[in-house]
Amino acid sequence: MSGKKGITAVFMNGIINENPTFRLLLGMCPTLAISTAVTQGVGMGLATTFVLVFSNLVISLLRNVIPEKVRIPSFVVVIATFVTIVDLLLKAFIPSLSQSLGLYIPLIVVNCIIFARAESYAFKNPPLRALADGFGMGFGFTLAITLLSAVREVIGSGTFLGIQVMPAAYHPMAIVIRPPGGFVMLGLLLLVVNAVIKAVDKRKLAKAKEEIA
Amino acid sequence: MQRKLIVASSPHLRNEGVSTRRLMLDVVLAMLPTAVASVWFFGGSALMLLVVAILSAVAGEFFYQKHTHQKVTVSDGSAIVTGMLLAFNLPASAPWWIAMIGSLIAIILVKQMFGGLGNNFMNPALAARTIMMLSWTSLMAANVLPHAGQWLAPQTVDAVASATPLGESPASYTLWQLFSGDIPGMLGETCKLTLLAGGLYLIIRRVIDWRIPVSFLVTAFVLFWIKTGTIYSAESGSENVLYQLLSGGLILGAFFMATDYVTSPVSPLGRIIMGVGCAGMLFVIRAFNPSYPEGCSFAILFMNVLTPLIDKLTVPKPFGYVKPAGSAKEA
Amino acid sequence: MSNLMLIVVGGVLVNNFVMSQFLGICPFLGVSKKTETALGMGMAVTFVMAIASLFTFFVQRYLLIPLQLEYMQTIAFILIIAVLVQTVEIVLKKMSRALYQALGVYLPLITTNCAVLGVAINNTTAVDGGYNLIQSVVNGTAGALGFTLAIVAFAAIRERLAVSEMPKWMDGFPGALIAAGLMSIAFQGFSGLIH
Repeated sequence: MSGKKGITAVFMNGIINENPTFRLLLGMCPTLAISTAVTQGVGMGLATTFVLVFSNLVISLLRNVIPEKVRIPSFVVVIATFVTIVDLLLKAFIPSLSQSLGLYIPLIVVNCIIFARAESYAFKNPPLRALADGFGMGFGFTLAITLLSAVREVIGSGTFLGIQVMPAAYHPMAIVIRPPGGFVMLGLLLLVVNAVIKAVDKRKLAKAKEEIA
Repeated sequence: MQRKLIVASSPHLRNEGVSTRRLMLDVVLAMLPTAVASVWFFGGSALMLLVVAILSAVAGEFFYQKHTHQKVTVSDGSAIVTGMLLAFNLPASAPWWIAMIGSLIAIILVKQMFGGLGNNFMNPALAARTIMMLSWTSLMAANVLPHAGQWLAPQTVDAVASATPLGESPASYTLWQLFSGDIPGMLGETCKLTLLAGGLYLIIRRVIDWRIPVSFLVTAFVLFWIKTGTIYSAESGSENVLYQLLSGGLILGAFFMATDYVTSPVSPLGRIIMGVGCAGMLFVIRAFNPSYPEGCSFAILFMNVLTPLIDKLTVPKPFGYVKPAGSAKEA
Repeated sequence: MSNLMLIVVGGVLVNNFVMSQFLGICPFLGVSKKTETALGMGMAVTFVMAIASLFTFFVQRYLLIPLQLEYMQTIAFILIIAVLVQTVEIVLKKMSRALYQALGVYLPLITTNCAVLGVAINNTTAVDGGYNLIQSVVNGTAGALGFTLAIVAFAAIRERLAVSEMPKWMDGFPGALIAAGLMSIAFQGFSGLIH
């Protein structure tokens, strides 16, 4: 199926139909842990996108060289290399972000999104498509984690990107930026997303029926 | 459709609607003296919080069930109990909106979204109280001094700002003050006299099983005795068994919250494990955690989390309570 | 000794991987529909994590630090874990049929369990230049036991939810996440237990 789609479709697929967070439910650890503030969410999203794009590209380029049997260790090495590059780049240029993301930067290496895309897409598709898939999945992930962090930051701290957005009388609901809030808010967000998808499907179905009739 | 099945997993009763109501009425009756005591000690603001919490809980249940096209079960009284229990877990200084948000969270997030009465795995009031506490720690600090009988007196907030007498300087309260409720604390946890009377009533009426509160209290007694070495002496301040048992939410928790039949084990052995576990966790938190000197809510919630597992290990298979609910679903 | 006690309590309750640090969420959500499988997963993780703590300690102390290759930590550790999991699988297959049958299916999944890598890195960044050998292994084992406690308790809750009257739209991940959130509230009482 995916072989016939155009590059744009491959890109959009990662953002909507197969959004890694909302649809495939991959990469939950960083999504939950980092989404306490929008800057962190965006930072994590972009760092992951970087790794995803390059590992997809390299694995796709090497897909005819890497023997089937040692593909998993090879993926690990490729992904870990790019994670190390991101880690060092962040340390050098955005030390504050590097500090706040902490342990979760090296842990990008075990983010199942990257692994899953390497295994199920990049290893089977030409470089350009793999690149589009990497960007699509990366932006889809960034979008989702940013949305979740925005909700959590506004409710839990009363701020957005560090700027006070709620009226002064608002008492921030601190639990939302603590671990329980991460689980619950992602659960609620999923409920909303599912409801929206259901509504859209219903409308599409109604439209299709209308056309037939 | 689902509401047609009259099988809830936990209060095992025959005519659910009627019997649940009778059960809840008993619980409300048992809590009433404590509610009166809280108004006596903390004045009009206690009354306001009780009213707001109960109304929000009932309204929340009503509108949720209307909105999701379910049979409205407000009349079974369980929302009233939840609202009341939540208010019992608030300090007199809490603003009205905390009572409202707390009740709505208890009813909607903790109870209804998991299927309503009998299906929630955590005590709604307790979970909501803890959510409030983790969200608005300073507003939830129980630092209002009691002012017995002065109904409309302005709230005096104690500058010491320590939650419950556990954090106070040693020996600042007499045993009688601790027992009668003349101490700062959450609305419904200070007056041990009415709590014990209500708990006893529930045990006699067989609404709650004696095993949980008794094993809870006995274990706590033993653990604090080992730690402090004295049952009671005025000089030892808070470092004695009676002081520990009578402060904080221990008595309220042991009789009214750990015993919630939906979120506690079903077998006799499981219930004893529940009581012992609650006391053990409470002891660990109180003894070693300086940031929450009062750990009763967390202890009970922790055991709520373990309850399905305890049930799995202690309930003999053929009588497993999971089965009836499962087969009912197919019906 | 009391130091080790603190590490154990810290790993199991206070800094519970799943409930406070969001590590190992994928298996926590994915392998928690049945208590038996959850227990199997927990045991497999405990096994691997203890050994991984041991090996990564030696690599860090006697290879990466002397060669000034600390920045290679991520690559080195993930490779060790991947190789280790494979080896454990092969050894188990040869040595103990029963144990292999109990843990075997979970082993490949563990490579991408971020808790294993997380604990290995945490061991090296913990106070004063990292834990020593015994502390590292104890920390790894305790953390894994905390993971086991969380996943088994969660699985029992989900078994109960599966036969409850939970609304249809809560089925699957939304319900699981919200249940996990409520569960993690109970673990918050321990935060601050150890400083």
